[in-house]
Amino acid sequence: MEITAETSPNVTVVSISGTVDSGTAGALATSLREHAGNGGSHLVADLAGVDYMSSAGLRALLETVKEARQRGGDLRRAGVQPNVLRVLDLSGFTKILKVFPDVAAAAASFPA
Amino acid sequence: MSGVTTPGTLEAIQAFVVDGCRRAGADDATGFDLRLAVDEACTNVAMHGYAGAGPGPIGVVLESDGTWIRVTITDRGVSFRPERVEPPDLAAEAERRPLGGLGWHLIRQMTDEIEYHSDSDSGNRLVLGRRIKP
Repeated sequence: MEITAETSPNVTVVSISGTVDSGTAGALATSLREHAGNGGSHLVADLAGVDYMSSAGLRALLETVKEARQRGGDLRRAGVQPNVLRVLDLSGFTKILKVFPDVAAAAASFPA
Repeated sequence: MSGVTTPGTLEAIQAFVVDGCRRAGADDATGFDLRLAVDEACTNVAMHGYAGAGPGPIGVVLESDGTWIRVTITDRGVSFRPERVEPPDLAAEAERRPLGGLGWHLIRQMTDEIEYHSDSDSGNRLVLGRRIKP
């Protein structure tokens, strides 16, 4: 798994790629928590590069959604591969994470 | 029939299942689904079955008869009662969703057949079956 983050004044875009499972989800949760806690509670998760996600990854995403919303922000999603979308859908996460067609649209959805 | 016995990593088990599904003629989505089901089951064993006892052995055997793929997972950890695992409330808002509790739900979603047996002599045995799509 690889994580890169790009921070603009209003939004942090976290791009994740590779495998998100019980072995890597801890690092993802730590990274997302850092960004949610740095005053950057407007988060976009770009999942386009994620080829596998287990319930450990869902847990990291849910944890971040809760944290960001408590701070008045949100975690929104752009990009996802079909198999991972199925996991999100079967777990009720397509309802939890607001989805946008691309990163720019997700970033623009936050109030300035 | 092919199999792996840990010590190996969950990553190695995932790769083994994907490879076995491919050899059995399953499509990529089926391979993904069984990888996920087996990964969730083995993660449960590592985190709950062997909790407090340190790492223990997990055996993973994959068999296919051309119509079904069945993966048998064996361990010597604490047994559990699959029928007692409550399904998650998928309609709940994020704020009301608990962290965790999705592993067994995903195993149910990703398989067509589940068989679980536990006794003190032979340990725990979980068989996850999935029909192969042509």
